[in-house]
Amino acid sequence: MMLLAKAALTVGGTFVLAGAYTMREGVIRIDVDEYRAGGSHVHLWVPAAAVPMVLHFVPTEHLRHGSEQARQAMPILRAIVKELKKYPDTEFVEVDDHDEHVRIRTQGARLQIDVDAPDQKVHVLCPLSTIEDVTIQLEEHGPAA
Amino acid sequence: MLDRYKISFAKIALIASTALFLSPLGALAQTTAAPPSTRQSTTSVSKDRWLHVRVISSDAKGETVRVNVPLELAEKVLPAIHQDRIHDGKVKIDNAHVNDVDLRALVDAIRTTKDGEFVTVQSNDCDVRVAKQSNHLIVHVLDKQNSKKSEVEVKVPMKVIDALFSAGKDELDLVAALHALSTQGDTELVSVKDHENTVRVWLDSKNVTD
Repeated sequence: MMLLAKAALTVGGTFVLAGAYTMREGVIRIDVDEYRAGGSHVHLWVPAAAVPMVLHFVPTEHLRHGSEQARQAMPILRAIVKELKKYPDTEFVEVDDHDEHVRIRTQGARLQIDVDAPDQKVHVLCPLSTIEDVTIQLEEHGPAA
Repeated sequence: MLDRYKISFAKIALIASTALFLSPLGALAQTTAAPPSTRQSTTSVSKDRWLHVRVISSDAKGETVRVNVPLELAEKVLPAIHQDRIHDGKVKIDNAHVNDVDLRALVDAIRTTKDGEFVTVQSNDCDVRVAKQSNHLIVHVLDKQNSKKSEVEVKVPMKVIDALFSAGKDELDLVAALHALSTQGDTELVSVKDHENTVRVWLDSKNVTD
């Protein structure tokens, strides 16, 4: 019984530490639903803390390729994210059509993009710090680096 | 006696570890259960200046567009854009001439002129008024051609126009213009009203549209 309790405490402690770290960094959530024949349905929940770690394992040539492709957008994205972190939760863009809705907003230091249309729904939720980390890493692997 | 304590401790440890194990799931639910509902923005009334754009279409679809941009964000992001004619927050224009009008000379002339009306056109088709008033350049157009009238009013502080033309020759300094705009009080910059759309561009300290 004691051994079981100790093992449970160790496992529980590990989980709570991992969970606390994951929750501190947040979760990247991507939901894509296409309502047509053969349409995609993607539902992805990834701990944001894992992304910068995973990038360390991506082969350098792939990172360099990605960095080259996004070269022009990287400084803009980085500047936007850095500034967005300074502002309270805000709805930056809101488009409401008859049956289509687009929202771009920040919520609790996360960027949230929602697209609701009759033929598709896209919801993206990503911590701003994760976007910043990724842009920094991609810039470090850019052609100038 | 010791055995009883050991069993109690083991039970508490098991309960605690179960609670610990489940706690991240609770936190996960809290962090991801944010529904994409409308109007969750908090109102920020501070020294931050916000540029708002609102387009309301009165057609059957009833389209509305709302954009809220902090001026400081635009000031910081613009210099990072290097594409086509935009570099370092400045946009290049061809020889400062647009349709053979020397914009810089025109701005200089307006700046040094006292308040007054520069252009007044009144016809059956439309009324046009261009004036300088309380350090603002005002353009007012009333289109009467159609049965349903349309009205455009643009009101730009002279300081902003000065800042826009403060860069070198053949350049418009967008960042300087935004900075000058951020020093202005709450003001409506553009207003367009016609039978299909209502467009408003204005500046205030709130991060939400009214």
